[in-house]
Amino acid sequence: MLSRAANNLIWIERYMERGNGMLSLLRVNFSANQDSPELFSWSPIIKNYNASETEFYTEDAIECIEYLIFSTENPNSILNLVTKARENARSVQEHLSREIWLCINNYYLYLMQKDLIKKLKTEDPIVFLDDLKKFHLIYIGTMDITQERGPSYYFMNVGRFLERVIQISEFTAMKLIEVAKTSDSLEQSFYWKNLLLSVGGYQFYLKTYKSSFQENHVIQMLFQDQLFPRSMYYCVNKLNRHIKQLIEIQELERNNTEFLLGKLESTIKYTTIESINQQGLNQFILGIKEDIKNISFSINTVYFSHSN
Amino acid sequence: MSQDFLFSSYDELPNTWDEMINNQTEIRPQYEAIIHCLKKISKEELSKKEELSKQLFMSQGVTFTVYNDDQGIEKIFPFDIVPRIITASEWDFIEKGIKQRIKVLNLFIKDIYNDQFIIKDGIVPADLIYNCPNYLREMKGVKVPHDIYVHIAGVDLIRNNDGEFYVLEDNLRTPSGVSYMLENREISKRLYPGILPKNNVRSVSNYPNMLYKKLQELSFKSQPNIVLLTPGIYNSAYYEHSTLARLMGIELVEGSDLVVKNHFVYMKTTNGLKQVDVIYRRVDDDFLDPLEFNATSVLGVAGIMSAYRKGNVNIINAPGTGVADDKAIYVYVPKMIKYYLNEEPILKNIETYQLGNPDELKHVAENIKTMVIKKTDGSGGYGMLMGHEASEEEIKDYLATVYRNPSAFIAQPILKLSTAPCYINGKLSPRCIDLRPFALSGKDGVEICPGGLTRVALKKGSLVVNSSQGGGSKDTWVIQD
Repeated sequence: MLSRAANNLIWIERYMERGNGMLSLLRVNFSANQDSPELFSWSPIIKNYNASETEFYTEDAIECIEYLIFSTENPNSILNLVTKARENARSVQEHLSREIWLCINNYYLYLMQKDLIKKLKTEDPIVFLDDLKKFHLIYIGTMDITQERGPSYYFMNVGRFLERVIQISEFTAMKLIEVAKTSDSLEQSFYWKNLLLSVGGYQFYLKTYKSSFQENHVIQMLFQDQLFPRSMYYCVNKLNRHIKQLIEIQELERNNTEFLLGKLESTIKYTTIESINQQGLNQFILGIKEDIKNISFSINTVYFSHSN
Repeated sequence: MSQDFLFSSYDELPNTWDEMINNQTEIRPQYEAIIHCLKKISKEELSKKEELSKQLFMSQGVTFTVYNDDQGIEKIFPFDIVPRIITASEWDFIEKGIKQRIKVLNLFIKDIYNDQFIIKDGIVPADLIYNCPNYLREMKGVKVPHDIYVHIAGVDLIRNNDGEFYVLEDNLRTPSGVSYMLENREISKRLYPGILPKNNVRSVSNYPNMLYKKLQELSFKSQPNIVLLTPGIYNSAYYEHSTLARLMGIELVEGSDLVVKNHFVYMKTTNGLKQVDVIYRRVDDDFLDPLEFNATSVLGVAGIMSAYRKGNVNIINAPGTGVADDKAIYVYVPKMIKYYLNEEPILKNIETYQLGNPDELKHVAENIKTMVIKKTDGSGGYGMLMGHEASEEEIKDYLATVYRNPSAFIAQPILKLSTAPCYINGKLSPRCIDLRPFALSGKDGVEICPGGLTRVALKKGSLVVNSSQGGGSKDTWVIQD
């Protein structure tokens, strides 16, 4: 496959997955913020997702959502993410199922509607966010049933799971900052619960650990659970599998990525919660973030190594 | 005449051939079925269909992006829901005419870049060739497979008030619009369920396969690596490039995806370099190779021309075909047909004055109100002067430019483009149209997809059908007997 096409496929998924994660975060924080604005402020989210050169600050829920969805200046706004995903999809149409293209194009056209901002400002914001989220669900389902399992699919999955592991580490790091600000264990448990909700693991947590939010359990679930599709373990495993498949069908040279992934996989798998606590959760997550950065860099060389 | 709302303001243009109505009285037989169908649909339903067609273009992504203040705005080419209909015998004539023409133009290009018999025999003046900006010295003596230079042509035809088809332009470089031929048909199927089969309309959907076959036979390999080279997403025809690549199952590449090593062209893949055998390029000659043409081009591939000359890669259409669709050369096409084939031209040329000739220049200047003046190397409807609608001031300015270099201009009498019914503001109104069928040449001759792109000047009374100037398009139905 063309290196540019592979790179585009990876990035379609990275943009779509980033948008999906951000919408979940916005939805969860909206509810929490209406309950206790002092605990669940908007600034950490804005800080995490604002990639524009100008600073932006607001504690108004709707203003924040509007900014993160519609801002043309912020490269990470939903509008910009979907526009970029669409531009990428458009240039690799011959590699994508027709349905995937139509799905992304329709999402883009939906966002371009003139009266959409008005809808956000005057109607139920949860419905508004859910409507956007639906495009992601349709997208993921469409990809699952229409895209043939081959290089395009594998590259897209590499993008998806790479973005997902970044998300897990970022969401957790964001919450750790908040948790550190308080010694009140009830408040801390609010943060953990909120984190679980943001990654869609709340129900599964309740089933597994019942209604008590302990740091150890949350970390175990987010990082080490084998069945939770948004755990670090699960995603790294998938990432690894798709990389291996690409190597197998000779679409990827055996390079550093495989090694780095194996290393991260065993770190996650074999680190006990005791040893995490020993080195400190912060340190643990910093280490993982560093590993992911190296993996992401090494995946990018797929494109850059042949671009000269 | 029906009192139906549809026809309440069908004011035919004077002295103009109308595709639907004969002698201002009766509907031509080929239009009866569709008109019967339209009449059964209420005004509201028709307008809904019009809206539906717009939505379909948008949601399929059949759009081009206009960039304004960094904000991309999606636009569709306007589409008129009433099809343009061509009878079997009309098509038969058009087909024969285009085949003859393309055959001759290929012979001409081969001759010009090789022995130049046509110059030696005094049919076409040498200076006309050498002064043509689209004549490429780099192509001199280059051997091309099957001696075919123009693999894809989009010949623009118009029908004059005598009912005859005339060739307006030959378009032998990188003609576009074929994706609209395909897409318009898909829309028609959904707007008028059941009507296409009832009318015996010939299918156009085989075009991508026809094209693929032509590209494939250019390589001696059984599984050649064929790619479509696009200038990129900012090109207004990008939709067409990605569609054709998708429908043929070939890779869509940009200049930066290709590299030339030891006179072979490769594409950069995730698994290293892979050799490219055939390139269907949608990049103009000028931008194809920065080493030989425009040095600042980032759209092309450095060294591609040397790989081409060595026969290591095929480029479609061949570089240098622009010499044959230049407006100054156009004048000579009927003579070429006589010279190479000893045949009479089937399709007529429009009477054309070469302003490099002082007598003809004088005649045109005196009759400027009835003339259209064009640059010989222009296209897209830009840089022309329509004598009947230009102000005295505009005429004066334009003539001043002409006098500076008269041989860079030609003039033609303003034609009466035929009109076809268009659905505009709830009624049928006649609008001027042309026709661009797409012809493919290969080792087994010329094939023409039965249909083409009908462009329509949506502005009342306008003769300019170019999409860049307010033109739209229609589905084109060729009826099978």
